[in-house]
Amino acid sequence: MTAATLTRQPAATIRSDARLTFGRILRSEWIKLTSLRSTVWSLALIVVLGVGLSLMIASLGSALGGEQAVADPNTVLTATTIGVGFGQLIAAVLGVLVITGEYSTGMIKSTLAAVPGRLSVLVAKSLVLFTLVTAVGFVTVFGSWAATYPIFDGQGTAAGLAEDGLAIALAGSAVYLGLVSVFAIGLGTLLRSTAGGIAAALGVMLVLDTAVSLLAIVADWVSDVTPYLFSSAGSAMAQLPFSDNPDQFGLGLLEPWQGGLVALAWTLAAFILGAIRLKRQDA
Amino acid sequence: MIEAHDLTKRFGSKTAVAGIDFRVEPGRVTGFLGPNGAGKSTTMRMIAGLDRPSAGSVTVNGRPYRQHTAPLREVGILLDAKAVHTGRSAYKHLLAMAATHGIGRKRVREVIELAGLESVANKRVGGFSLGMGQRLGIAAALLGDPATVILDEPVNGLDPEGVRWVRTLVRGLAAEGRTVLLSSHLMSEMAQTADHLIVLGRGRVVADASVDEVIARASGTSVRVRTPNLAGLNRAIAGPDVSVSTLDDGAAVVTGLSSEQIGDAAASAGIAIHELTALSSSLEDAYLSLTADEVEYRSTSVAPTPEEVAR
Repeated sequence: MTAATLTRQPAATIRSDARLTFGRILRSEWIKLTSLRSTVWSLALIVVLGVGLSLMIASLGSALGGEQAVADPNTVLTATTIGVGFGQLIAAVLGVLVITGEYSTGMIKSTLAAVPGRLSVLVAKSLVLFTLVTAVGFVTVFGSWAATYPIFDGQGTAAGLAEDGLAIALAGSAVYLGLVSVFAIGLGTLLRSTAGGIAAALGVMLVLDTAVSLLAIVADWVSDVTPYLFSSAGSAMAQLPFSDNPDQFGLGLLEPWQGGLVALAWTLAAFILGAIRLKRQDA
Repeated sequence: MIEAHDLTKRFGSKTAVAGIDFRVEPGRVTGFLGPNGAGKSTTMRMIAGLDRPSAGSVTVNGRPYRQHTAPLREVGILLDAKAVHTGRSAYKHLLAMAATHGIGRKRVREVIELAGLESVANKRVGGFSLGMGQRLGIAAALLGDPATVILDEPVNGLDPEGVRWVRTLVRGLAAEGRTVLLSSHLMSEMAQTADHLIVLGRGRVVADASVDEVIARASGTSVRVRTPNLAGLNRAIAGPDVSVSTLDDGAAVVTGLSSEQIGDAAASAGIAIHELTALSSSLEDAYLSLTADEVEYRSTSVAPTPEEVAR
């Protein structure tokens, strides 16, 4: 061995405690997520579509409806969360892309070489995306509420955030968007294909609903399953609590908090399946 | 230091790496050679923890790669110049990689400068040429100032200046006492860069020796001789292991004897010698003869060989 072996100095620009920590992996995933244009575009689209559609619905309502002069939290809620239906599709596509984009470009090799434990990458990705998408969801629905307030106020039907748990329902729809994005990360990690991941995510959120309601025509008991579908659970999360709003029983949805648990279960199921494949199979 | 013991990888019924043992020592450049499909890339992926061995083990600096708490400090890897998200800038890519270990912007800028990427650092990687991609991959491999560097085909797509840069860089890394494992299909480049060679063929190690040894072992001694009395020389050196072939320009190539033996035989027979040159084969010749039986995907020549024409 040459003398050089003994004289090799670590690069002065690297801190001596340079090693993996979960906080640093979170930071890395934050840099990755925010340095892609697709992220910025998708998130901007959620806000613009959400607020735009709310304004449209609110204006339509004011053009059609008569003067009620009574606070109507249900109408306000419907108008302000109307964009969530589109937002969930965008959140799903974004969630799938966050992981399948790494597989299709080969980036996953760099990622896993830096973090060979693998699971911490998936956890960090999910936490970062959940936080960002939920935050954007909050901006969207509370932004929609604020933007439509003057219109509803003109009709006399405006509802304050404290009214009938409106704020909780709005928060629920924002959290649902975050859960959808993590659900999609799970499916993307499981399938390692952008097309497959998007098809699976949209399949669960859109096609499954239709299939179940068609089946319910033939077999009555199938309709009992409906409230436990992912998107039904999402709708449950974004409604007013039953205690404040007894006539909601007729809709066949779960209580908001129950809906939240069901949506969380769907999310965890997809995440765990993805985690198993990530951990077990060669990259 | 990289150590493989009985390292095996099977994909279904196909064995890509068949229980190989080798050591890559620090302080020198080890070349990793083999035909396509010989198992080089699979071996490198197993070293980096991307593929799990079907049997056996491989350690880097004494531990399986996955057990290191600071993998980027231990091993720098270029497996594929395109192991980068095409939608991200080179700077952000390196910054994200560095962030996992708490390595800061200063070091990121340092490797960007080292790789000569200053002018394109903020451009998206999707627009990079293959050569730029290679430079980015090498920059990423050096981020953690690692003790072991693994580069798979680093000069692929580089211009002559880049090829020389990699050669100098790699030699420098080894001189600093680092372990360097380098694969390439360019034999002339390998001959100039590597000290030691590990040659794979069909998932097995067919040679593990210094570059000089590999060349010497693969080529029999051959000597070019020029003499006005070739017939006389033929008689003087005739023997069971000796063969003489005549070249177009009148010179002859003798195999099976050293130049000393030929010169002595000619002197005692009183034959004039005008040229006596020991011919050493190139690494390329040595490599091709070593792996002749190991090639997975062989291209067959369409044109008839000269011998076939003569028949």
